[in-house]
Amino acid sequence: MTPAGRRRRALVDAIVQVAALGGLVGGWELIVRLLGVPRSIVPAPSVIGAELVQIHGLLAAWSAYTMTTALEGYALAVAGGIVLAIVLESSPALERGLFPFFVASQAVPIIAFSAVVILWLGNGPLSKVAIAFYLSFFPITISVVKGLQSCDPAAVALLRTFGAGRAQLLWKLRMPVMLPFLFVAMRIATSTALIGAIVGEWFGDNRGIGTFILQALYAEDTVRLWCGIVCCAAMGVVFYGAVTLVERRLLWWPAPALD
Amino acid sequence: MADKLTLRHIAKTFEVEGRRVPVLQPVFLGVAEGEFVTIVGPSGCGKSTLFNIVAGLLPPDPGGGLLVDGRPMATTLGRVAYMPQRDLLFPWRTVLDNAVIGLEIQGVPRREARRRALDVIGQFGLAEFAEYYPFALSGGMKQRVALLRTFLFDSDIMLLDEPFGALDALTRSILQEWLAGVCGTYRRTILFITHDVEEAIFLGDRVVVMTARPGAVKLEVPVGLERPRSPALVTSESFVALKKQILDAIRDESLRSFATQARVEEPE
Repeated sequence: MTPAGRRRRALVDAIVQVAALGGLVGGWELIVRLLGVPRSIVPAPSVIGAELVQIHGLLAAWSAYTMTTALEGYALAVAGGIVLAIVLESSPALERGLFPFFVASQAVPIIAFSAVVILWLGNGPLSKVAIAFYLSFFPITISVVKGLQSCDPAAVALLRTFGAGRAQLLWKLRMPVMLPFLFVAMRIATSTALIGAIVGEWFGDNRGIGTFILQALYAEDTVRLWCGIVCCAAMGVVFYGAVTLVERRLLWWPAPALD
Repeated sequence: MADKLTLRHIAKTFEVEGRRVPVLQPVFLGVAEGEFVTIVGPSGCGKSTLFNIVAGLLPPDPGGGLLVDGRPMATTLGRVAYMPQRDLLFPWRTVLDNAVIGLEIQGVPRREARRRALDVIGQFGLAEFAEYYPFALSGGMKQRVALLRTFLFDSDIMLLDEPFGALDALTRSILQEWLAGVCGTYRRTILFITHDVEEAIFLGDRVVVMTARPGAVKLEVPVGLERPRSPALVTSESFVALKKQILDAIRDESLRSFATQARVEEPE
């Protein structure tokens, strides 16, 4: 496709997307007004919008707090996941012994563990970072191990005939082959890290968007509840989008579709 | 003169479900410096196993060994330039960077490796494609990149395992002629596996015919044809006579292998 054609398509896509979003919000507003839905059940978007503007300073500060803990946990999970995956991949005995626990951890709702984390690490940001970390860490590790193992044995053989050792095989072959797997996990982990940070605040904190939602719930303030939801949604979309942008920069070759 | 590469008593037996399956009978073969030896044989005769052993990927059965310049080698890993059947280009590397990966692994700095690649890339017909990614190339071009990668790897011994096997007949004959030319320029010691008897004669200084599994050397035929060789050669009397001799030998073996076929696939 020509650059001009690509630009035109991007423009059309953007128009459709804005129209869809506008239609959704407009339809919501219309239904709430026409049916006279009480504010306590679903407030109109205009009411939520007004409140968002009213308290934007607080929302921005508390969103930033939550986003920071989520990002820190996420970064640790990505780095730790890659390192542990490399260790597991390089030792079949370790991998066979430990991998089942990682897979099992996917089935166990480990968020239940969060209460203990608050007891250990306190009410501050550290406990949220830890919760965001362990919610994202296992899936990332599993994906990276799978990715490292997915390279073509013939390609490994080829590099070995050139005299490649473990480290060269890792850098020149396993890591690039693993990248698409890592990015799939990293996109999914954006939401688990955010969930960890938000839910972590419910177990104990006095700041953050999770705390804000909890306070709105106790006060039965539906408008503020929806303000919290909007903030969470915005953080999730921006986070996911940012990771996707990084992925496009780093994965320039046609990789196997994994999701 | 001592041979560049000597295969001394190279045999291989695989253990399959508790049974011992011999794939290679002891193979003895010497390849002189600068010689182009082609290997043909019925399918499943252990040619690829033989190559994996020479490349250092598989140990031969005890008692056998490889000699380079008359010296026994503990391993040939990092010592011979091996080109497998598939091109195995890395999609995240450009043509140029794919070509230099062997040099990189040998420890040549990337800048120097690229310079060496750019010096010869024109002879591989890839000069304009240095910065392309493999997905944009045709099958014949990918194979030439893989050949360039094999040529650049700093080794005087090359193992080519059916490099043109997956190509269409026309591309194949063009690449054969081109390879014959390139090999004339850079005298390398080459072992070349093929299914194609014409290819084996056209390219080789000597054609080695293998027996059916378990493989061994059945016949060695020196190809006394002058170089440079032109495609017209394949219809000449001496070429046809060689072809008949080799085809008869292979047919013999294929029939034998068909009759006594072991029900075990050769592991890759």
